[in-house]
Amino acid sequence: MTIRVFDPTFDETMASAASPTRLTALAGCSVGLLDNGKLGARELLDYVEEVLRFEHGVVNVLRIKKPDASRPAPADVIAALSRCDGVISAVGD
Amino acid sequence: MEPGSPCCDEICSCEMLTQATERWRLKVSANESLRSKAYDLPDALAVNEFCWENGWTDGLPILPPTEERVIACLEVAGLAPGTVIGVERVRQRPITAEKAAINAVLAGCLPAYMPVVVAALRAMCEEEFNLHATSASTGGPAPFIVVNGPIRTLIGMNATHNVLGNGSRANATIGRAIRLVLINVLGVIPGEVDRSTLGHPGKLTFCIAEDEEDSPWTPLARERGIAEGQSSITVMAAAAPRQVMNEWTHDPEEIAETFAAEMRHNMLTYSVWAGNYFLIIPKQLREILVAAGWQKRDIQEYIFSSARVLRGDWAKVGKANIVDRSGGPTQEFNALKEPGDLLVVAAGGPAGGFGAVIPPWLGSKGRAVTKAIDLPN
Repeated sequence: MTIRVFDPTFDETMASAASPTRLTALAGCSVGLLDNGKLGARELLDYVEEVLRFEHGVVNVLRIKKPDASRPAPADVIAALSRCDGVISAVGD
Repeated sequence: MEPGSPCCDEICSCEMLTQATERWRLKVSANESLRSKAYDLPDALAVNEFCWENGWTDGLPILPPTEERVIACLEVAGLAPGTVIGVERVRQRPITAEKAAINAVLAGCLPAYMPVVVAALRAMCEEEFNLHATSASTGGPAPFIVVNGPIRTLIGMNATHNVLGNGSRANATIGRAIRLVLINVLGVIPGEVDRSTLGHPGKLTFCIAEDEEDSPWTPLARERGIAEGQSSITVMAAAAPRQVMNEWTHDPEEIAETFAAEMRHNMLTYSVWAGNYFLIIPKQLREILVAAGWQKRDIQEYIFSSARVLRGDWAKVGKANIVDRSGGPTQEFNALKEPGDLLVVAAGGPAGGFGAVIPPWLGSKGRAVTKAIDLPN
């Protein structure tokens, strides 16, 4: 005699947004860096950009700052970032 | 049944559960069944350990989400398993009725509580609640739920003694179900999406009913546009309650001033930004205000005028470094953008000159949302 129970966690097959394919290399790519608007974000992303450009051969870096750290990124910011090959969303708290 | 009287467990757990399960056995076999992955385990204790090992709890024991109980929850809410209750907007994660029901069972909910859980989740998916930010913030708020209308008494919610504490299965497990949905469906796990520095005890459960029977004031939901006789919830991401006490006056302004002082203190020591604040006013203080002819509107207007601070006041609480910024020491901040932003709730035990201020997470960046509770025929 066993007891049958059901999984309470999110089912990826129900996702309304598909996860993008992960990049296997960064050389020649364009990368978006989303600054959440908090105090430490710019400094953190300055360093990340340096590493991406000089250690991984990233060609284009798009820097965008959210207008409000406490609200979702607006549609125009998401649209701009969606043109990049990859995006890093930084929490600079 | 009076709020605070023993829960109608027998009705909910026997009659309602059995009837709902029977009806749904037929429906499920004919239509859609649960889609979630199933696990066969030896017994309830093994289920409990399995959930802990998988990180599916808040740290407390759970009840096994069996097909019968999950389906009974769906039946009472009148929802098919695949119904999307709402979508978390930033990560675009849908919350299905099936996942909400599984988590409600885990939390210990009786099926009769499910419509309240569903209404709260719907409200939290509205833009003004700001679900992702309030779930992820280092500020660590918790969804605070106030239930109005007939469902409070039908499911045995507590609105009186120890209202912000333990005691009622409905209060405790409805709030807990919301937390488990956040953990399991939205990944709001401490150190992952949940970046709270401290959090607070309301993150386990934070749900009360308003004491409508013992108060002449207009219930919160009616003030917010819900029709008389309609059950509803109001939910906001909130900081921990700040308890106040004033047993030395019968002057309504002095009582209101004690609440205003606590709000000013919150503005100075925590967050200055204007937003929705809850005031929980138990019977002893309520009776003084009522005897003076005060309605909720009088409290709102008094607090709107009084809960203000100057930037210069920050020097008194160790924040002198920001006194000269922006508008300088004479810059004024108001706790409320308008009097109606103060959400006054009649609740609490009959004795004691206590009350509570429940502040918002971060001003108006997370607003209170009120939703009707859908009760299928």
